[in-house]
Amino acid sequence: MSVQEDGGHRGTEIAARTERRWATISVIIIVAMALLAAFAGIHRATMPQPRVETTDPSRLHLSGEFAESNLGSVLEANGAVTVRAIGQQYSFTPACIVVPAETPITLRATSADVVHGILVQGTNINTMLVPGYISEQLMRFEKTGDYLMPCQEFCSFGHEGMWGKVRVIDQAKFAELAKSGGRLSCVGQ
Amino acid sequence: MSARDLFTFRNRHFTTSTGITAAIFIVTAIAGFIVLPFAQHWLEFASVWDAICSAAGVPQRPAAVAAAQDKRVSEVVLTSHTLSRPNQEAIGRGATLAQRCAICHGPTGISRADSPNLAGQYAAVIYKELHDFRSGARTNAVMSPFAVNLTDREIADLAVYYAYLPRLPAYHPTPQLPKPNIVIYGAPMRGIAPCGSCHGSLDNKTGSPWLEGQSEAYMKAQLQAFAAAERRNDISQQMRNIARAMTPQEIEEAAAYYASQPPDIVKAVD
Amino acid sequence: MLANRKLILAHFWLAFAVFGVALMLGAWQMFIRSPLGTWLSNPELYYRSLTAHGTVMGYVFPTLVAMGFGYAISESALEQRLVGVRWGWAGLWLIVIGSIMAVIPVALGRASVLYTFYPPLIGSPFYYIGVVLVVVGSWIWVALMSINLRVWRRANPGKAVPLAMFANVAGSYLWAWTALGAALELLLQIIPVSVGLKATIDAGLARVFFSWTLHAIVYFWLMPTYIAYYTIVPRAIGGRVYSDTMARISFILFLVVAMPIGMHHTFADPQVGAGFKFIHSAFTALVALPTLLTVFTICASVEIAARLRGGRGMFGWIRALPWDNPMMLALAFSFVMLGFGGAGGLINMSYQLDSSIHNTQWITGHFHLIFGGAIVIMYFAIAYDLWPHLTGRELVDLRLIRTQLWLWFVGMIVTTFPWHWVGILGMPRRMAYFDFGDPAIAPQALSVTFSAIGGFILLTSGILFLVILARGMRSPAAEAGAYRFSLAVHQPTTVPLALNTHALWVALMIALTITNYGYPILTLAMTEGTSVPAVYVGAQ
Repeated sequence: MSVQEDGGHRGTEIAARTERRWATISVIIIVAMALLAAFAGIHRATMPQPRVETTDPSRLHLSGEFAESNLGSVLEANGAVTVRAIGQQYSFTPACIVVPAETPITLRATSADVVHGILVQGTNINTMLVPGYISEQLMRFEKTGDYLMPCQEFCSFGHEGMWGKVRVIDQAKFAELAKSGGRLSCVGQ
Repeated sequence: MSARDLFTFRNRHFTTSTGITAAIFIVTAIAGFIVLPFAQHWLEFASVWDAICSAAGVPQRPAAVAAAQDKRVSEVVLTSHTLSRPNQEAIGRGATLAQRCAICHGPTGISRADSPNLAGQYAAVIYKELHDFRSGARTNAVMSPFAVNLTDREIADLAVYYAYLPRLPAYHPTPQLPKPNIVIYGAPMRGIAPCGSCHGSLDNKTGSPWLEGQSEAYMKAQLQAFAAAERRNDISQQMRNIARAMTPQEIEEAAAYYASQPPDIVKAVD
Repeated sequence: MLANRKLILAHFWLAFAVFGVALMLGAWQMFIRSPLGTWLSNPELYYRSLTAHGTVMGYVFPTLVAMGFGYAISESALEQRLVGVRWGWAGLWLIVIGSIMAVIPVALGRASVLYTFYPPLIGSPFYYIGVVLVVVGSWIWVALMSINLRVWRRANPGKAVPLAMFANVAGSYLWAWTALGAALELLLQIIPVSVGLKATIDAGLARVFFSWTLHAIVYFWLMPTYIAYYTIVPRAIGGRVYSDTMARISFILFLVVAMPIGMHHTFADPQVGAGFKFIHSAFTALVALPTLLTVFTICASVEIAARLRGGRGMFGWIRALPWDNPMMLALAFSFVMLGFGGAGGLINMSYQLDSSIHNTQWITGHFHLIFGGAIVIMYFAIAYDLWPHLTGRELVDLRLIRTQLWLWFVGMIVTTFPWHWVGILGMPRRMAYFDFGDPAIAPQALSVTFSAIGGFILLTSGILFLVILARGMRSPAAEAGAYRFSLAVHQPTTVPLALNTHALWVALMIALTITNYGYPILTLAMTEGTSVPAVYVGAQ
């Protein structure tokens, strides 16, 4: 490249051309990244939740989807599992979520008071719980075992004590438990 | 500078920049609102319009789910503004009503037996427990018959009256004990936050009582009842989640500690 | 010689003083939640400290630096006396009053809501009003920058606006517009609840408003740093700016695309539609463009300096650079941190990768590396470069300056690299303590310890920085001459109207804000029944 001040017109042109090339490369990099993100989202099924759904946080316990008797895991007719949970100062209910391995799972959760977050360590399960809105996330566990599930957003002074758990058990074992009906969880075990 | 020279299609910079910006927006909007929703084969949309509305985030009410109702859970709705503005008349009415309660809870709201002290307790707490006793979400051989006949207004009056009473030292003084770990720190990995983050010394979660000077036997019994799910009127298991994770020894330590404390360390008021 | 040295010095000293205090709090936080510290018997103290640290470092410190630097640029680049000096002082006083008003409830534990506010948690109204005053004070600066440029234009019709001032004004417009999101959140939503006029608040809408501010604010923090890259570094190391036009385009791009991307902070939120998340994700990718362009132009400019100093060969010129010059050192450190931080940023911008690190310690590691590292180290460099012109005295101890920069760089790497790592392991943010004794998270203990040590290295460096500046106030007097900015290889005499004015780009910024934010904000605001009861924190 030309460093002389009197490089004149030709110097300017060379400089401009080099810049244009670099700008083109930059744009290509960026477009490639955006496409990659979209592609990965579809093929790894990690897209943000498709709908915005609302609910009244102070009346969750009275009736409907997030009433206490409906919280926990349920085996649906199609073999998939739905988990319903709430976050509140300073615990998740159920505090221990039980799910089968190698099964598509839909997590539906909301907050009863302030903003919380659900994060399952060692996975990419991660969603905010915003009072007034319902969070939905698809998940699937390949390996059985216990996973920690801390609250990942400051929810006032007891935030440091808000840790839940996810227990992934064998598919057959889960089906056995599900036979008795009701909502499953692993609290108190 | 003149805006007329700038914002005109004769200005190359104007046409290119707005053109590129609009193009990016349109392409990403088509991708985000139409292509991506339909590319997710696991989703079902009624129409293209439904897909677009969903992607735009039009708030929807969730499909109704019929859940089996459990008779033994609380039906009280509490917010930070529940009974937050008491008036003098309500307190006066509450004082009259409270004469019935004095046998167990003491004329000054301090119990001589192992019943809870109510003097200066948060109004929302008394309000909620009375409602729960009335509905049967919480039962107690002595308390339930009293609560059954209370009206909504009487419950509110009692709540604000007791909240209005000065916080006095407990009737059964014990030497002050050092803070056990479970009370100060909780046990994070078991999902137990410090007790004070709900029960008043750090912060107050609406509906949680302050505990200083309460009867040790009473608190221990309640913790055990929560742990065993014999008491279930804590909304969405908020206290069962904690008590269940506590060891029997921690329950004893916490009960003994709180019983030994004077009421003046409670910071939060409602 | 700058005419309004007192005004500029007052901004810088206030900025660096509050920076010192917040840095101390930060180091304490790193320590107390690490395995080295003992658990706090009152976790609220941690959140109190965190609120103060975030509020100062996010709102007060960078704003004051941008303002002081902006006044210096206006005077020296335009070579005209600053218009509206009294207003400048008024703005500064508003910030002082606002900061004091905000810090008192925080110190008393009545506003431990963290600098992100996140309702329905509600603290003392004085905290929020204080923050609003800080913002209003800075808006006075925005107006002054615009007025000064206008005055200069009238006196110099048709002439190319000096790059430094062009960028400075772009930064000020960006700030004026981006601060509006949080201002709306505070004024329309939080403060009415906090003073008791309303009892409920839409937490989802508040998060959307906040994302309007929360991301573009980063580019406002970044502006002084980029201005230094383009207009100070090449001059300080004896080179030329490779291209004046490319520099202008970079700043324009920041103005346009910094705003409509904030919702990548809400990828995991339930109240924002997936379509808008995708649009914001794509625009976030776009914001990498001005940075990529800048890296190219600055590397080329630096190469020019090296070749002018006799550097030869494909990479041999790197050795010919003036490495003992603090500006060169700061630039190199800044670029390294920008590189790592930027790579991390690419992960945050795509929601697939984001979901594995969202709201983990990775995020805190990321913005400390970018802001505390790449950006703040250039704030140091700016202060060192300006100091002789502000004090009329020389900064003599270059070695100490180099040590300070080295310490900051090393400290930042030691702090943030393990921080990113524990984030990948899933360590959540903003917790007062962790039970590292538990086997499930015991493997994180070592990394957290390293971070805490890094925090103390940073604190040492920060103290050293303040010592150097304080000593600079008392060293022998030396006339520093006029404050100059870098010249371009081809210094422009005229530039196209669009690259010499901001109107078109401000219009695009506002248009994109409307397209990308308008609908989500309106729907949430119009939907009934999404407001939830406020939860008041702490002792009332």
